[in-house]
Amino acid sequence: MDNRELWELLGMDLEKHDEFLAPIPALATELFFNRPNRPAAMSYFDMVLADVHGIRVKELYEKKQKGAKIFASFCVYVPEEIIVATGSVNIGLCAGAQFPISTGERVLPRNLCPLIKSTMGFKLDRICPYFQVADWVIGETTCDGKKKAWEVLNQYIPTYVLELPHKKEARDYRLWEEVVLEFADFVEKETGVEITEENLQKSIEVINNKRKALKRLADLRKNKPSPIHGLDVLLINQLAFFDDPERFTGQVNQLCDELDERVNKKIGVAPADAPRILLTGTPQPLPAWKIHALIEKAGAVVVGEETCTGERYFRNLTEPAENKEDMLKNIAKRPLQINCACFTPNSGRIEDIVKMTENLQADAVIETNLQFCNPYAIESFSVSKEMEKREIPYLRLETDFSDEDQGQLLTRVEALLEIIRS
Amino acid sequence: MMKIGLDLGSVNTKLVALDGIKIREQKVVSSRYDSVSAGQELLKEWAKTNQDISYDLVVTGYGRVSFPEGKLITEITCQAKGCHGYFPTHEYILDVGGQDAKVIKKNPAGKVINFIMNDKCAAGTGRFLDFILKGLSLTEEELFEAAVAKPVNVNSMCTVFAESEVITLLAKGAKKSEVVAGVFQSTAIRLARFVESMAQPETLIFAGGGAHYNLLVKYLEQELKIPIVIPPDPEITVALGAALLA
Ligand code: SF4
Ligand code: SF4
Repeated sequence: MDNRELWELLGMDLEKHDEFLAPIPALATELFFNRPNRPAAMSYFDMVLADVHGIRVKELYEKKQKGAKIFASFCVYVPEEIIVATGSVNIGLCAGAQFPISTGERVLPRNLCPLIKSTMGFKLDRICPYFQVADWVIGETTCDGKKKAWEVLNQYIPTYVLELPHKKEARDYRLWEEVVLEFADFVEKETGVEITEENLQKSIEVINNKRKALKRLADLRKNKPSPIHGLDVLLINQLAFFDDPERFTGQVNQLCDELDERVNKKIGVAPADAPRILLTGTPQPLPAWKIHALIEKAGAVVVGEETCTGERYFRNLTEPAENKEDMLKNIAKRPLQINCACFTPNSGRIEDIVKMTENLQADAVIETNLQFCNPYAIESFSVSKEMEKREIPYLRLETDFSDEDQGQLLTRVEALLEIIRS
Repeated sequence: MMKIGLDLGSVNTKLVALDGIKIREQKVVSSRYDSVSAGQELLKEWAKTNQDISYDLVVTGYGRVSFPEGKLITEITCQAKGCHGYFPTHEYILDVGGQDAKVIKKNPAGKVINFIMNDKCAAGTGRFLDFILKGLSLTEEELFEAAVAKPVNVNSMCTVFAESEVITLLAKGAKKSEVVAGVFQSTAIRLARFVESMAQPETLIFAGGGAHYNLLVKYLEQELKIPIVIPPDPEITVALGAALLA
């Protein structure tokens, strides 16, 4: 079955999909394939990217034929271990493309976070094969935008909403644990597979291994010079939400082996004195590469992401346990260590930014805020004050997924680099 | 050897030529949506009257990335440098240009330590003011009156909304001079909050084309309750800084 037949089967709007995909190969070639000095092991991820609506979708389709269910999630709080335990699939579907936004605006307010509008637009336009192959959307009550958008999305695809607390007190842990247990029942019912000690233990291990591999990759960027471009790591972090976890883990570790060698030989992607940037803020879902590309084109290297398409996704592991009950408890515990601006207070995030700046020897912090994302925009006040106190050069960029602000953003980024270099 | 700074702005393109630290020439022309050509013209003209004089060139402003020669430095670094010579002990600069507004903090050496820029819209920029003022087509007399008029409230800061609000106010019988005063006052209030979002300075340098509007300066001083200083030619300090850095 070739891709077009597959897309047709999935009920996609082929014409619109062609229009959406048309500029992607040139962009990927410019930003990734043709960039010099990349590790050889990037070839696997390049291949996945080049056929991002093909091979993997087909795999999912085949899994579905054999009875598996596909769950699409939009937040790193969603306990993917539970889904994986049943042999079904979790894919992270946050969208970072400008193309479907105007369609999203048919049903959502214009002054809403572009991530939510893009996601909605993909479903309405029927141009995302992952959305088309998905049986369920797993939403959560994080920000107001997402919380209310689920009600609309539910009219187009069944949407299950996890109630996420907004504080981290003992009672919030209790609530979240209850929510996770209920979710486990729901997944069992939907997939028709019982969650057992064995399959849960295995899935915890599989997902932990994925997180460990991503952590290993993140740690390698501590080196001066950095052995890999931030843009390449961003792509890998983005693909972590789509790919088969075990295969993906193997490929990331293979890349890390190569990077170990680079580090030993002191091979870097930029001179040792190139400015090193830590990025923080809202997620950068596929294909939102703009900020990384601008920073690195200006001669700096992005050495870390304190975002959900970075550190927040993989930093915390699920503690293993002896029995199913404790395993589920630990699965619930893990995400509550993530510091997202939807929680209050969220001072842990500022501590994370400071720690990462030190560990990664970053020269400056750039905060990216998706336009109309209130939680992160408001929190940036405290972030900027802390950076000023510590004399860490800091720049806040408000942006969306369009290309029109590239000139303005570049001026800001270059001015920051001039501060670092002077 | 001379030093030339070229500032390719969205509205105007400026050239400053320095002999040591003495300004030999300064020129401002309209960018006419093509600041790169405007800059090339300025440079060609300068070369014609200064034959056989070699120069070091720094190009800045939003058009810099497409300029074929010279060293590139951002307008933020150049602005700090250009203002520093006039006001070495002042820390904060408010720059209101054609298409954006910035607040820059410099250190005692004239280097930038922090800056913020307004987000993607024309509110509180020179273009916004020009647009509204052009629409009102004031006579000399009305402009004079505006300086002492009691400002009416203008709430919209989006160019399109502000225009319709102005029309409504006039239709309701407000005087043009009062409306103009209102537009300046509300822009000043907005700029004051913008400055304060970065710091609570004790003095402020005001540069960029926006500093030419006396009424804006007046209301800004009122709103911030601090003394404001303005360089002799507030529009060319970026080009001057560029020349100094060449
Ligand atoms: S930023 Fe917050 S709401 Fe968004 S994916 Fe991350 S954890 Fe979830
Ligand atoms: S970026 Fe902000 S507004 Fe957008 S979905 Fe995430 S938390 Fe909500």
